[in-house]
Amino acid sequence: MGTINSAMSLIGGALDANQEALNVVANNVANANTPGYAEEKPDWRENTPITVGGVQNGDGVTETGTTSQRDRVLEERLDQQQQLASASSTRLTALNNIQALFTPDSGSSSATAGDIGSDITSFFDSFSSLEADPTDNALREQVLTSASTLAGDISSAANSLNTQSAALNQDAAGIATQVNSLTSAIAQLNLQIQSTSPHADAGALEDQRQQDMSQLSQLVGINQVTTENNGLSITTTSGQLLVSEGQSFQLTTGTVNGATDFFVGGTDITSELASGGGQLGGYLTARTQDIPNALNSLDQLAYNISTAVNAKNNAGVDLNGATGTATNPLYIFSEPTQVAGSAATMKVTMTDPSQIAAASAGNETGDNSNAVAMAALANQPIVNGQTPINSYSNFVSTLGSTVLEVQTENTAQNASVTQLQTQNNALSSVNLNDEAAAMSTLETSYQAASQVFTLLNTIMASALNLGEQTTVS
Amino acid sequence: MREVHAREGISGLRAMVLEASRALALLDAPRLQELALSCEALNRQLGQADAGLRRDLAGQAREAVDDMEVFRRVLEATRANLNVMRRLRAMRWGELEYKVPGAGAMAAAEQAENGDGNN
Repeated sequence: MGTINSAMSLIGGALDANQEALNVVANNVANANTPGYAEEKPDWRENTPITVGGVQNGDGVTETGTTSQRDRVLEERLDQQQQLASASSTRLTALNNIQALFTPDSGSSSATAGDIGSDITSFFDSFSSLEADPTDNALREQVLTSASTLAGDISSAANSLNTQSAALNQDAAGIATQVNSLTSAIAQLNLQIQSTSPHADAGALEDQRQQDMSQLSQLVGINQVTTENNGLSITTTSGQLLVSEGQSFQLTTGTVNGATDFFVGGTDITSELASGGGQLGGYLTARTQDIPNALNSLDQLAYNISTAVNAKNNAGVDLNGATGTATNPLYIFSEPTQVAGSAATMKVTMTDPSQIAAASAGNETGDNSNAVAMAALANQPIVNGQTPINSYSNFVSTLGSTVLEVQTENTAQNASVTQLQTQNNALSSVNLNDEAAAMSTLETSYQAASQVFTLLNTIMASALNLGEQTTVS
Repeated sequence: MREVHAREGISGLRAMVLEASRALALLDAPRLQELALSCEALNRQLGQADAGLRRDLAGQAREAVDDMEVFRRVLEATRANLNVMRRLRAMRWGELEYKVPGAGAMAAAEQAENGDGNN
């Protein structure tokens, strides 16, 4: 193993020196310089040449003012990447909170939402236990206890998701206030900049405007259009006007179907903002996509378990020899009328364990065939074509994949922001030679990284093949 | 130099991938070139690995799959950034050519030839 490790140990030094998360690096680089500052350089105008003896001689240059060394193209790219990084970062936080609800707490003895998987197993197992002695009251009590634990954990998870959704609504509404403050400031700066240009450079004002733009990019997805005399118009990524030179258009909020929606001039732009980027995009994606997806999975689970178990129990014979009727159904769970909201309201309504219908219709009370049928529901595709436990496992697994995907996206976006900030700093504060050097570093880094990627890919593919061969032999 | 295996439960291969993403985010070209050399060496030695090491590397490769995806995304973002910078550079060089020193003098000479001069 020594030879391979010695190859790997070549990189050990840098790993020891710095192994911080990429987003921490991004933040450090971001804070390394004064925000928004771009170095000013003098502008020079060539004087009219003097002709002496038929030969033109230059007559030097005259300083005409100063221009900030900023580049719109690069700044726009940086703003755009910041919007994406900010959106994925906000969404990731929300997703981690959602995932925490479904992570089993191994150290706790009390039931939690994270134990829903084992709750499902325990509930159906309690019917298997009842099969052995269908008249045993303790075993009947156990069925109701495990049903209560399952219903309690599912409704607790659904209620926590609703609470998270309400918190996201509040956070998102707070963003609107910040957006309005920034767009108003940018509109004012536009007026001042336009009254200055083209006769002079409005360096300090442009720095301030760029700083505001950068902040705005972290809050909401935007596009910017440069207008006459160095003015700037800003739209949402879907084209809704937020700033038109000296005028700003306020983002307002209103409640639609219990959720906070966002409007500009009476137009509801919530869905556009959700896909647009920035913190607001992240909040809205979590609120309109991630939480509803999780709630829908829980609702499906609660609805299908409740209705399937209720239907079986209602069709059987309880310990008193009774069967369910329209007016007095033998339901274990509250019977849901629709899928939506089933999880939050899931609960056990049966209080008398003797009402558990272990016997099938037409049989004596000592019969266990209906208990067998109810235990068998665990292995039947009663939740959208899947068994209850598989449905829940798939939901948790899909959620985990989404978290991983957004995490990957966020790390790459932060890395991209770091690179662009490095390039922007080079452009803002150095001469053309240094700028060329910065460009060369970017190109060399890309080429070397491509080579590393190709090699790592080959190594990993070979390693996996070698590993499999070893296993087979 | 220390063995990468010893670091907080992160396998050597995974550490390499993490280091590559970090170095690329920071545009640390010398580090990336060094990593490329390490990878070449590792790739050469892989063919002679014994059974125990093969199993170990297969496990390390599985552990590193997610981080490899992060590296791929960072590489993609870098390519996009590089394209932006190349376009930017082309624009800036275009401006420089337009404002090449002496351009004003050349224009004046042209004016003179067209009969607007002293002759």
